Formats: sequence, C-alpha cells, structure tokens
Amino acid sequence: MAGRRAISRSVAAVIVVVVIIVAGAAAWLASRGGGGGAATTSAGTAGGAAAAPPELTGNFTKDALAIGRWLEEHGVGQVTYTVMAAGDPNSVMRMYGIVEAAEDINDLWSENGVNVKITIKTDWSPDFKKQYDNFKSKYELGENGDFFVNSYIYIAPLASQGRLLDLTPWVQKYQGYFSDFFQTLMKAGQYQGKQYGIPQDTEARPLYIRKDVARCMGWDLRGLDEKVKNGQFTWQDVYQKAKEAVEKGCADWGLIHRKGSAHPDLIQFIFAFGGKLYDPQTGKLVVDKVAIKKWFQVEYQFARDGLLPRDIMSWDWGTQIHPTIVGERKADGGDGNTLFDIGGTWYWTEWQSKKYYLDPKTGERRPLTPEEVAEKFYYTLFPAGEPGKQPVTLSQPFMWMIAANAGKENPHYNDANYRKAYQELAFLIVVKASDPEINAIHSVISAHLPVSKKAANLLKDPQWVEKLRNHQLGLHQDVLSKIADIIDKTADPINIQFLANVTYMLDYTHFAPSHPLYDKLAGIFADAVDKVIRGEMTPDQGVDYIVQKVKADPDLSANVEIIG
Amino acid sequence: MPGSRSWAPALFLSIMGFLVVAFYLLPLLLTVWASFTPIRDWRVESLGKSVGLDNYRRLFYLIRHDPDMGKVLETTVVFVSGTLLVNVVGGFLLAVAAFLLDERVSLGFRLLWLLPRMTPVAVFGLLWYYFFHGNGMFVHFLQALGLLEGPTWIGQDQRFLPWGAWFIIIFVNGLVGVSYGMIIFYSAFKSIPRDIYMAALVDGARLRDIILKIMVPLTRWHIIFVTVWQLLSLLTTYAHLYVLVEWRVVDKWYGMTWSLYVFETAFGSTVSDQALAAAAAVILIVVGIGLGLATLRIMGFERELKPVRGDI
Repeated sequence: MAGRRAISRSVAAVIVVVVIIVAGAAAWLASRGGGGGAATTSAGTAGGAAAAPPELTGNFTKDALAIGRWLEEHGVGQVTYTVMAAGDPNSVMRMYGIVEAAEDINDLWSENGVNVKITIKTDWSPDFKKQYDNFKSKYELGENGDFFVNSYIYIAPLASQGRLLDLTPWVQKYQGYFSDFFQTLMKAGQYQGKQYGIPQDTEARPLYIRKDVARCMGWDLRGLDEKVKNGQFTWQDVYQKAKEAVEKGCADWGLIHRKGSAHPDLIQFIFAFGGKLYDPQTGKLVVDKVAIKKWFQVEYQFARDGLLPRDIMSWDWGTQIHPTIVGERKADGGDGNTLFDIGGTWYWTEWQSKKYYLDPKTGERRPLTPEEVAEKFYYTLFPAGEPGKQPVTLSQPFMWMIAANAGKENPHYNDANYRKAYQELAFLIVVKASDPEINAIHSVISAHLPVSKKAANLLKDPQWVEKLRNHQLGLHQDVLSKIADIIDKTADPINIQFLANVTYMLDYTHFAPSHPLYDKLAGIFADAVDKVIRGEMTPDQGVDYIVQKVKADPDLSANVEIIG
Repeated sequence: MPGSRSWAPALFLSIMGFLVVAFYLLPLLLTVWASFTPIRDWRVESLGKSVGLDNYRRLFYLIRHDPDMGKVLETTVVFVSGTLLVNVVGGFLLAVAAFLLDERVSLGFRLLWLLPRMTPVAVFGLLWYYFFHGNGMFVHFLQALGLLEGPTWIGQDQRFLPWGAWFIIIFVNGLVGVSYGMIIFYSAFKSIPRDIYMAALVDGARLRDIILKIMVPLTRWHIIFVTVWQLLSLLTTYAHLYVLVEWRVVDKWYGMTWSLYVFETAFGSTVSDQALAAAAAVILIVVGIGLGLATLRIMGFERELKPVRGDI
C-alpha cells in the first residue's frame, strides 16, 4: 500500500509539474500578443491613446510629410515593413519597387527635417503560388508580408477572408493619380466593388514561333500575325505546321508549353474555343464541357503524335522547358527545339538574362542577346481554337496588395491610431511604387506591360531608355546594385520595340475569374490535362473526370455551373 | 525523506511528461477539435466555431463520389502492407547477412544501408527522380533487357499503373525503412548467447534451421516491436511520397497515401482545408490505434509480457 501511495504521489507530482510548465508556456505565448505580433513599448500605452493621424488628401508630398511628422511626434523613429513578392527572375522590381518607394519617402522626410526612417525587409519566391501559400499560412502568426505582390486571382480569396486592406477610400482620394492607370486593370484589383489591389504589371501570352525552324520547313511567316488576328490561322493550322516541322526533321517538338498547372497559360484554350469560366450573372464559376473537351482534344492529338512531350507537365522550367524553347536540334548538339511555344511576354527578356541556351559551337550555356532573341522568335496572339472563333490572350495582372495587419512589426500597433498611420504610410509607399518610372523600369527589364499611360509613354522616349541603360535614372544605390546586371542585359531598343509590338494583344485579353474557389477548380483542370497529355485519359474521360471531381466536392458543386 | 524520494522521479518524469503533453497529446486533441470546426486557409479564429460532423460528412461524401479517393485508399493499403513486408522481412534478412559477415565488413555493410535514412529527403528524392525518370537509368536497364522501348515514366505510364507507381513508392520508402529493422534485429542476434549458435552448428544445423529455429523464436519480441513500429510509421509517413508526387515521378493519386492526402488537404496550395484534413487525420489516428492493437494481439504481445514461471 505504501508503495502504491508513493507511486500515486509521483504521478500527481508529474501532473502538477507538467501543468505548471504548460501553463507557463501558454502564458508566455499569450504575452507575445498573438496574431498581430506587434512590438509594443512602454511609451505606447503609458501616454494613453494617441491623437488620430492625419487623413490622406490625395496630395502625395503633403500626405507623406504629414504622416512622417505625426509618427515623429508620437515617438516613432523607425517604421519597418516586409514585402512578399514572387515571379520570374527579371521581375524583382515587384520587390525592389517597394524598397525604392520607401527610400524616396525617406529622402523626402530627410529633406524636410522629419526624423523617421522606413526600413523594408524583402521576401522573394520564384513561385507565385508558393508565395501565396506562405502568405496565408504565416498570416495568423503575424509573419506575413505587409505588402503582398502577387496575381490578382488571390484578391478574391484573401479579401473574402479579411486579410487584405480595403484601399477604396484612399484610392478615391488619389483618383486623379489612378485615373492614368488602365481602368480594366484597376477593375481587376477589385473584389465585390472594393479596391484591394493596385496594378503592378500585366502581360500578354503570345504564341512564339521559331523563325529558324519555319525557314527550315519552307514556311514564310510574313503576315501570320494578321492571319491569326483575323481568325484565319487557328489551332488546326498550328497542329498541321507542328506536324510538318517534326516530320521534316526541322524540330524535335512541335509544341512546348508550361508545366504544373493549367492556370493561366492553358486556360486560354477555353476562351479560344469560345468557352467561359465564369458567369457574372450568377457569380458562379463555369465548367464549359464543350470548350474543355476541344482543348483536351488539341493536347491529346499533339501528345499522341509525338509533337508535345507526354510528360510536359512535369518538365523543369530551367533545365528543360526554356532550354528547349530557345535550343537547337538534338541532332545539332543542342537541347532539342520546338516550332511553337505557348509563353508569356516576360520570356523575351528572361531568355536574355538566364543561361538557357546551349551553344553547340562552344558547348557552353549562355543567355541569348536581344538580337538573337529577335532573330529566333516570331510572335502572334494565341490563335482561335477553330475557324469562326477569335484569337485570345490572357493577362494575369500582378497587384500591390496591403495586408490587413500591415504595420504589425511597429511600436504601438495595437493602438488604432498608430495602426492607421502605418497603414496610410503603406498605401503611400504603394502610390510611390506605382510611379511611372519605377513601372517603366520593371516593364523594360522583365518584358511585362506597363499599367499606366505615363509609364507606357516613357517606354517610347529614347532619351529615357538611354538614361536607363546608363544607370542615370537616380535609383537608390541598394536597388540599382540589385538590378544593374539585368538592366545591362535587357535595356535594349529591341526589347522596347517588342513591348510596343505586343501591346495590341491587350485588346484581345481575357482574365481568369476573380473567385475564391477558382484556384481549386484550376487545380482540377491541371490534373485532368496532365492525364490527357499522358494518355491516361481520353479527352471525353478528362471532361468527365472534371465533372466528377466538381460534383464530389460540396463547396465546388455549390459554386460551379456545368454547361455543355 | 520518503517525500523527497517521490519528488525526484517526478522531476525527471515531468520533462518527458511535458514533451508528451506538448508535442503529442495537445496536437492530437487540437486535431480532433479542429475536425469539428470550419477552419480553412489558416483562419485560426474559426477554431472557436463548430460545424458538428459536417467535415466527416464531407469526407465520406468525397470517398463515395470523388474518382480519386478510391485510389488513395487502395494506395494506402498496398503501400503500408508492401513496405511493411520489405521493412520487416528485408530488415531481418539484412540483419542475418550483417550477422554472418566478418565484423569489419559487417560495419561497412550496415552503414551502407543506413545511408538512405541519413540522406536528406529532397536529395534522396532527387536521386530516385533521375533513376525512375522517363529516360533514366531504370528505363535504360529495362530497354537493355528488351522489356521496354522508348522513354517511359514507369510511375505515370498508364500501361504500368497502378503497379508502376506502387513499385516506386514501396521501393524508395523500403530503402529508407529497411535499415531500422536491420539495426534492431542485428543487435538482437548479437544478444543471443553464442553457445546456442555453436551448439546448433555442432549438431549439424543448417543456416535455414538456425534462422527459423533459433533467431526467429528468440527475437520474437523484436519482430513484434519492429512490425508495430513500422506499421504505425508507414501509416503516417509522407515526406518521400510528397517529393515523388510533387516531382511527378509517380501518378498523383496512385502515389498518394491517406497521410499524404491529409497533408495535401491541409497545406496544398489549391485547397488549404484544415478542417477536412483534421477529420481525415482523426480517421487515420483511429485506424492506426486499431491496427496497432490488432497487430499486437495477433503477434502474441501479451504472451511476451507474462512473468517468467518457476524459480529464478
């Protein structure tokens, strides 16, 4: 009995100690302030509630100075934000644009005797979907970026979850400034009538055609872009030409396209076959069986005839996809080549800054020069799926978004007035980052299209381009040092001309739906098209698979119309 | 003084007690709790709301209607049983080989088999990505034997599904897991008194007799332990599977076990449905406990625990 009592006492003691430790840990975690993670100093609460910060007026200089002075008066000497951005290697101005803007405001404050400094921490990912996951999963821990620079398709899910700041009142104040922006893009930044994103860039998705392969097969490309525009050259013709190129031994592949997901590049097929993805009247997503089946038939036929790699959806961007698009025939000592590629405008400069091209003469990998890119590639709209349909392109504007908890790293964040000041300042940084010059620099080095008329005009100014080439645009040294190499490789009149040449494509552009469940539906499309290309399913089975998956998911079935 | 004696073990036990509560019990309770809430997209505030059995209803609706859920269930059964067989039987045979080898050679042999376990998951996955690649070594090997023509993704090609994918996931995970059994069994063989082996050899016993009549009966406890441990590990493992599926070495659904489905549902970029994932995880926990107990019973665990009879 004594032994049993001793054991009982031990067990009780263990429980008491464990409870104390767990309670202590919980108390410590709670004391950290939970989701906000704001660092609150004693000065913040001891002085009582702060006065309200100044309201934004629409005059940038006045607003920036007013906020700076308010912060200084309230004991804030440093404001820290984090920018989370993503994209191809040349699109780093999505991140450094914010840094540059913050430095501009620092300069303005310094010149006017405001002793406050903004510091920007950066978080870059080459994969925009993964960065979206990061943002979501870190949000509750308060470790997300204050600025989130990503595709507009994430506005709907994030805004519906209350994780983005509603910028509508401030955008209204700055109406004059934003009236210069292309309004279709401003609209893409809205969700349920509210403005959550400010356009950062946009793009078109041309069909690239290798001129050397076309020459080899005796195909004169002159005037093809007009034929595509008029719907006289469709995907039926693309298939015939691809087949001919491979059969004549001019190309290893007829077509190369993206890997991994169907959104956004492959979704173009749905529009090219006259289908739709969204019904604005019901607010529901749409599975258009007829258009999807036709899309799958194209991919199935290409893959069956050996014109498109059956495993394309698992190819690697850097070692397979791009090297094949820019490469030489395997028989000539290259990585293999293709006649067609479904790509994006940004490929144009990515090929000039990344070592994708295996030069058969030297056996070394190197980037292409602007002249070589222009010599190799012809480009058109994404052709109509079949006669009678229209050519298309698809834009996925990237947006500056501001997290609903922006400013969380700064003192007294839990005080509503401080919080408002930090968020107003975050908006001003976005306004500054949308400066035509910053936007135009991004356009040149990344081959994305500008979002405002003023930025587009800068691209037409040879003197401005010359200044960019000579690093004379007054960028701050820490930003310039990060992009100097990309500028040197890409700030070329050939690239500027390319941007001018593809801008007309925006007249044909489509947008993927801004719907919280679109990403989930696009994931099912990706699985289905992968199975079709691999030959695991016929086009009919692929469509049935999508329908079954949608019906099996109660959320999707309530939010998706199946037509056709 | 008796009081102080009772605090001493309590102090030491409390550390482990804390770890168990903090890292096992609380996550388990949180998972069960989350399975009754609407939490998605990491909206932690949803943990305060209840949706009753809705997530379980959704899960069973998916199982009945989603064309891929059957594949997940089949894959789980085949993967767990196949890899378990490799890990236990393979581990046992490797331990026998290591036991029979000269000690210096044996050490190198065991280290070699430990390499997969020591190699980071991504590196190990990359190795097998290139090995099972459509134009990789394995395909070249089959081509040399005249069994295959042209580049082929064994784990994706419809002609070889589902067994192509299952073969790869069992092979890769088997290589990682087999060393665990080998180490346990090897040390068990070493602990059997040498006299017993010597006596058997003197009596003219062959290797098969020694294995079946000495090694297996005397390491019964170890076999039970390794079997149950590996069973539970395999039910919940997903790291290597994730890499193989993510890099499309294997078909997405014929490479996805229930545990990977839980992970993908909770953390996947297109889903992030933590509530549904929690419900699926609870099912996994229940199945794990049930299978673990059943295995212990079948293998006579209780018999092993009976006190020794007779005088000592």
